[in-house]
Amino acid sequence: MSRFIREFRRAPARILASVFALSLALGAIGVMGVPHVASSSLRDEASTDVIANIAIDTTDTAGVPIDSLVESIDDIDLAETQISAMVEIGTSASAGPWADRASVMQVLGVDVGSQQIDILRADAGRLPTADGEILVVEGLADLGMVIPVTDMAGETSTLTVVGIGGTSYWSGEQLAFSSFETARELAGTRGSNRLVVRADGDADELRALADTIGDTLADADVAVVSLPVTVPAGQHPIEAEIAQVSVLVGLLGIVAGIVALVLLASTTTTLITKRSREVAVMRALGGRQRAIRRRLRRLALAIAAAAVVIGVPLGVLVSNYIARMVLEEFVGLTPGFAFSVPVMVGSALFALVGARLVAARAARRVVGQPLATALRDRDANPFGRRVSERLAVRIRLGGLLERTGLRNGLHQRSRSLTMLAQITAAVAALLVVTSMATTVTAFNDAEYAHWDYETHTSVPGPGLDMPGDLADGHAGSEMAIETVGEYGDWMLDVVGAESGSTFLDAGLDEGRWYAADDAAEAVLSTGFAQRVGLGIGDSIDVRLPNGTVAYQVVGLHPARGRYAFLEVDSLSADLGSAGMANVLLSAHDPSAVLSTADGATAGIYTMQHLDEVTADENGRDAIVLIFTAIGLVIVSVAGLAVASGLAVNVYERRHELAALQAIGGRRRHVTRVVFAELAPIAVVGVALGVVFGYFGALGIVGAFESADAVEIGLTFAAGAIPVAGILVVVGSVGLGALMARRVTRRPAAVTLRSAA
Amino acid sequence: MTFAPPVTTRPDAQLDTQFDARPDDRPEHHNALPDGGRVPALRPPLIDAHDLTRRWGKGSSAQLGVDRVSLTIERGELAAIVGPSGSGKSTLGALIAGIDRPTSGSLVVDGTRIDQLSDDRLARWRGRSVGIVFQNFHLLPALTAAENVQLALRLADRSAGRRERRDRSRGALDAVGLGDKLRRLPGQLSGGEQQRVAIARAIVTRPGLIVADEPTGSLDQASGHVVFDLLSELAAAGTTVVLITHDRQLAAESNRLIEMLDGMVEHETLAVDRGAASIARPHASTADVIVGARRRPAAGHADMLGVPS
Repeated sequence: MSRFIREFRRAPARILASVFALSLALGAIGVMGVPHVASSSLRDEASTDVIANIAIDTTDTAGVPIDSLVESIDDIDLAETQISAMVEIGTSASAGPWADRASVMQVLGVDVGSQQIDILRADAGRLPTADGEILVVEGLADLGMVIPVTDMAGETSTLTVVGIGGTSYWSGEQLAFSSFETARELAGTRGSNRLVVRADGDADELRALADTIGDTLADADVAVVSLPVTVPAGQHPIEAEIAQVSVLVGLLGIVAGIVALVLLASTTTTLITKRSREVAVMRALGGRQRAIRRRLRRLALAIAAAAVVIGVPLGVLVSNYIARMVLEEFVGLTPGFAFSVPVMVGSALFALVGARLVAARAARRVVGQPLATALRDRDANPFGRRVSERLAVRIRLGGLLERTGLRNGLHQRSRSLTMLAQITAAVAALLVVTSMATTVTAFNDAEYAHWDYETHTSVPGPGLDMPGDLADGHAGSEMAIETVGEYGDWMLDVVGAESGSTFLDAGLDEGRWYAADDAAEAVLSTGFAQRVGLGIGDSIDVRLPNGTVAYQVVGLHPARGRYAFLEVDSLSADLGSAGMANVLLSAHDPSAVLSTADGATAGIYTMQHLDEVTADENGRDAIVLIFTAIGLVIVSVAGLAVASGLAVNVYERRHELAALQAIGGRRRHVTRVVFAELAPIAVVGVALGVVFGYFGALGIVGAFESADAVEIGLTFAAGAIPVAGILVVVGSVGLGALMARRVTRRPAAVTLRSAA
Repeated sequence: MTFAPPVTTRPDAQLDTQFDARPDDRPEHHNALPDGGRVPALRPPLIDAHDLTRRWGKGSSAQLGVDRVSLTIERGELAAIVGPSGSGKSTLGALIAGIDRPTSGSLVVDGTRIDQLSDDRLARWRGRSVGIVFQNFHLLPALTAAENVQLALRLADRSAGRRERRDRSRGALDAVGLGDKLRRLPGQLSGGEQQRVAIARAIVTRPGLIVADEPTGSLDQASGHVVFDLLSELAAAGTTVVLITHDRQLAAESNRLIEMLDGMVEHETLAVDRGAASIARPHASTADVIVGARRRPAAGHADMLGVPS
């Protein structure tokens, strides 16, 4: 320890800079812990809330005690019923669906106070007990607020907010919780319409169990109206939603790791190389090589250890910050504090073992120099020894100052390569990050590109609550069905549309559209079909809420995403609600169509324009925000690493630059020399960064396409290239000026005297 | 300007006085020192330092490099500054060369109050008015001998075109006997050769003042003599040379001998007082003359030493 303190006193600025840079690099590696931290936080929440393992939306159970029925099934530990109701916030009775179309809220009725699954908690206020009382999720309404609502039947009433809280299962949803009685009145049901179950098992076992539950319910004349949600024990349903972002963040952590590796190597090597002369003197005085090497290694290890002490906790903070950002932006959940032990241990080992290995190599090289050479020359390798250097002398590129810089860059080959790698990594990371953002945006747009409607109107809720003939006789309007199905392990967007629909892009990549009759034919999105190995004529078993149905693939559509397009009447029958639909597509204001509706559809609607659907600003902004944060971390680490390398370079050449000053060179001349050295590295770094950035982004997108069986398509952020270029140029000029300022701050004589 | 660069290399390292002479700039008497070193002060001294102090740090930890030094050096003199290590001779040389700044006092060189110049103006002044030769040469290692010399010219005289720079650097290197090693890198030259390149770099701008700090310190005796001869010839040709050296034998060849101790001028002796040989006859042993040098107060001026005005 005392030896390290002595070493620190000798060069505090350099050692502090090394420790700081390495700490930041280790902190950046902490990004790799984001997926773990995010899932760990979610699982803690899942455990606290006793989250359901199976959740099923059903038709009105009326007087059937489905919880008791289901609990009699083997492997089911516990079952509870809930009531889901959709209400429109505000007084829209007179204004109609156009007035307040976005203010729809789900009210979930639970057995308040007796729950054992998805246990409701009040973070502020209290749990709702009386009629008309609700507990809302954070941010939806203030405590004590009285909210006027319109229910499914068109009846108006008020709900009073008595508590704020909820359960993590519903994070990110605009949701209110109430007693059974309140929800039952709003939903207009006699019994319940939702079942939550606790059971052990993996995803497949739970899915099989859900099928068994469906059969049991069917026997009691209760239909399942949406695909059951299955959550294996200990997991959280939101994990799947943020998995892609988490994995992407983790991948960027690898880029940070590469930058850190380069930084570790350059810092350690520099620290040891700087002691060449001191080592030579020690050897001349009889110091044993092994002892000297051990001393050098210990110095590097001490610095790495100090960096670990600062960097690993910094990494934990970084990963928690980003995980929190991901969860808050995507699912509105504020997670607790968590850390990834493997990432912490891994990054600490990375620093210590890396420093040990790099130091050993550098120490061997320093100690291995012929003693006479080491004592004679400060760098033991004057310019002109290599053939490449002698060749460079023959090339008279630029002015004399530029030649000095260029040739020095060639002379300090390994350091130049290190800086090149750092700039390349930073530019590549920047382009990967921006390309991911542009790709997400483009994918969001492309996902809806095959639709051509003006308005999309639906009744919220899982069932088919709109008559299939509602649009009959109304030109420019069609009924459709949107639901979710499964094929194997893949979730599918199942769309029911009229044969020859005018709202769906008719162009196919291959095959034909399904027939107008009830034929079990399907058109799949091409990207999905290709990735799961399906083609024209193949049969596909699609798992729908109330059972599995086989369809024959007759066409492939260019739509991105995982789509199965089916004939609307055929699908409504397969869903057990023949002649019903849940979406009204229209080329105009749908008021005229809706005014003819009666019964259940006279209540609330949500309507969106296509451009509102495709914009998806929130998701894109969240992704851009997260990627920007990660990009900044990586660019900062790389920038710091380049600055560190350049500082060492300039420091080593301070006598040369002071001599330049002595013969009349001004600060701008010194700046030119430094910049001339950095400029070609920066130019090549940007070029390589663009190449690596492109292929890196392509690789990430490709990995997601394979993992998700969906055609994403890379939208390379070419617009970011000039930005990256400008950043590098501005950074280089700034660094050059800064270094020149540092060098010229001291009188030349003072610097030159230290060389004597 | 009558500069006409020689076209042949002269390995005998004799300085080309035609190259170096500045007849348009200097008084007639510069090339002739009829009284053996005493310089008629028809013009103000080239260097006029008054109460020059250089201190590093503050308070009790402050280090004193030069302490209230006052001196003058006339044009065309070869002035030697000698003294033990740490006596402040290199610091004084650095102040005179404008590569360091005094903490207090005034320093006028060739009519310019250089202690008051901004960093940029001081750098420009250095480039144009002073040539510096270091013990460790301080050549730029990635530039060839010719390029090192050209660089000094480039920094001093922006109006000089590429061809002119090339020709003048070749001339300067010819003058120091390295006309055949223009494309050699410093690492490919011996110590003596590197120092001669440094001298070529110092003279290529035709400065009125050359400050040489231990120019022979890193060289063997033979190389040291070659370098000293070059400097002597420069002085003989009219350039003021300030030589900082440990070597009293070499210092004895100077017109003006300044001895320093603890940051102050201990003795200042003119060649005429010492009866020393003219700088045109280098290598004469003058140790006995130095021993007999007159002691003087630190803040002395030339007139106090009896230099006629």
